[in-house]
Amino acid sequence: MLRISNLHVTIDDKPILKGLNLEMGPGELHAIMGPNGSGKSTLGYALAGREGYEITDGSVEFEGQDIAEMEPEERAAAGLFLAFQYPVEIPGVNNAYFLRAALNAQRKVRGEEEVDSMSFLKEVRESLKSLRMDESLLKRAVNEGFSGGEKKRNEIVQMAVLKPKLAILDETDSGLDIDALKLVAEGINRLRDDKRSFMVITHYQRLLEYLEPDHVHVLSDGRIVESGGKELAGRLEREGYAFLEEAEA
Amino acid sequence: MSALLERLAGEQQLPTDDFGDIRRRAQAALMQHGFPDLKTEDWKYTPLKLLEKREFSAEQAASSALREPGFKAVVLHFDNGLLNLDDLDLPAGLRIEPIGRESLERADYGDRAGAFAWLNLARFEQGLRLVIESDQDRPLVLALTTAEGFAADVHPRLEVEVAEGVSATLIDYQYDAGAGLVNRVTDVELARGARLNHVIRRGGGDSAWIERTVVNVNDEADYRVHVLDCGGRLTRQDLRVHLLAEGANGEIDGIGLVDTRQHIDYHTAIEHKVGHTNSRESFRLLGDGSGVGVFNGRIHIHKGADDSHSDLETANLLLSEHARINTKPELEIYAEEVTASHGATIGQLDDDAMFYLRSRGIPADAAGALLKYGFAAAPLEGTEPVEVKDWLLEELQRAL
Repeated sequence: MLRISNLHVTIDDKPILKGLNLEMGPGELHAIMGPNGSGKSTLGYALAGREGYEITDGSVEFEGQDIAEMEPEERAAAGLFLAFQYPVEIPGVNNAYFLRAALNAQRKVRGEEEVDSMSFLKEVRESLKSLRMDESLLKRAVNEGFSGGEKKRNEIVQMAVLKPKLAILDETDSGLDIDALKLVAEGINRLRDDKRSFMVITHYQRLLEYLEPDHVHVLSDGRIVESGGKELAGRLEREGYAFLEEAEA
Repeated sequence: MSALLERLAGEQQLPTDDFGDIRRRAQAALMQHGFPDLKTEDWKYTPLKLLEKREFSAEQAASSALREPGFKAVVLHFDNGLLNLDDLDLPAGLRIEPIGRESLERADYGDRAGAFAWLNLARFEQGLRLVIESDQDRPLVLALTTAEGFAADVHPRLEVEVAEGVSATLIDYQYDAGAGLVNRVTDVELARGARLNHVIRRGGGDSAWIERTVVNVNDEADYRVHVLDCGGRLTRQDLRVHLLAEGANGEIDGIGLVDTRQHIDYHTAIEHKVGHTNSRESFRLLGDGSGVGVFNGRIHIHKGADDSHSDLETANLLLSEHARINTKPELEIYAEEVTASHGATIGQLDDDAMFYLRSRGIPADAAGALLKYGFAAAPLEGTEPVEVKDWLLEELQRAL
């Protein structure tokens, strides 16, 4: 599904990722943890193709295709999705219109027919309901005036409708109360199957308790320095990242 | 005397009617003051070079096509600026009559900043008074259109009166396909407790389009205007809202789009003449190509207009290196216990928002169009009734 080899990424000539290696198979859920400033969000943005995140060395293959030169919308159409840590407000653009435009743009690239508005709305309404979001959000501008929790849940709604092959969730759990966290976890679990993969970037074990990750990685100073099963998340929660320094020393 | 003055006023015979004395007074004022130039504060970003180069033809252009808006309405077609008064079929509670002497006698447009209004007073071909006497269930559309080949100068003059307690929707639907001069003066009077939803949808061709609109809002009356200006060769709109008595409310929301070879200039003023009056204004300009947009929004809270409230904001988007926007919110307060705010921003398309849309699969071009639409649609969202709002948003989508 995803093969990242020796990935080096700079922002304004400042190296952030410094030789990151990671392989993810279909249907797997990988958690990426690590201290602040270790490069977690940079990894998400670089994979999604944000301008200014320059790949200076190494490669990223998504389903066997090198995506380094692809535009963000091409990556999206290929099946990559980034749930933003800070979802952006788009005043004046209605949520339903935006989401349908996104879905149809992706389908067009893939040579699929446009979705009709009835079945589209039916699906979005179901997603909203399962995340306990009010239907009126559809008519409101994208993320405008949403609470922090609503913005995060709106990312999950988008993911459910766009059905990516690989979803990268950048601190989707931050700022959520315990009920919202459960709803978000349920939203992710509903989409899990043996083909779809997830990269969950998080600071806390809490979300992972609901998600049962297949692999947990620790990112530090732009590299993955430790990988393990879900028990690694528990250890990090108890001991913090101090052991990284000990290991290096 | 400038060539323009000579062409538009000096060489012309004034229309012969009962208003000869008034017309001669206006003509004299115009000849004395002349047209504004770049040293005239209110006109410093809007040069009249276009008009100076233009020859106006007295020949009648062919009839202009009327575009029907996509909703049920009472449509009055001002063909090349003039309303055909034969076969008018007006609903109950709506009356059109010739303009009276009284308001014309009172008219005073000051010095050269008011030159086009003086010109209108001297030369108007048709002066109409529109009286809305009872609630109207259909919007009233004043469709002022010009034909291809229109190269004349016309000076329509209109008074609108909304009677006590009456609610109405009035839509100025202006579409220009010509290359002349439309110089209109409109005076609106809202009686006690009246409510007017005013919509200005303008756009088009090569004409110079100069409009002066003054709205008098009496006690407990409510004036709201939504503007969608899709750009023209040279457009100047003066819009003055006078809040004359307690409880009067005035609101202006607008978006102007300019692209290459287009120049639009909106000068708005809201005058709080007495206390306990409210106003709000939000005006946006979107500049592309080598278009020029000007906005000057003035809120003036007069001495003694205590306990008044006003908000004024202008947001502007520059999409190209060569587009230019001059924007200025002005707040003048001479009263006490007033709450007022103003702000202005000029920016470009937001990178974060672009990336967000593209990361969802929307190509860069479409993402840019969506952001432009979102920016421009915001001031129109509050338009009533909803079928008029939907029509405006469709017009906007087409314009972008």
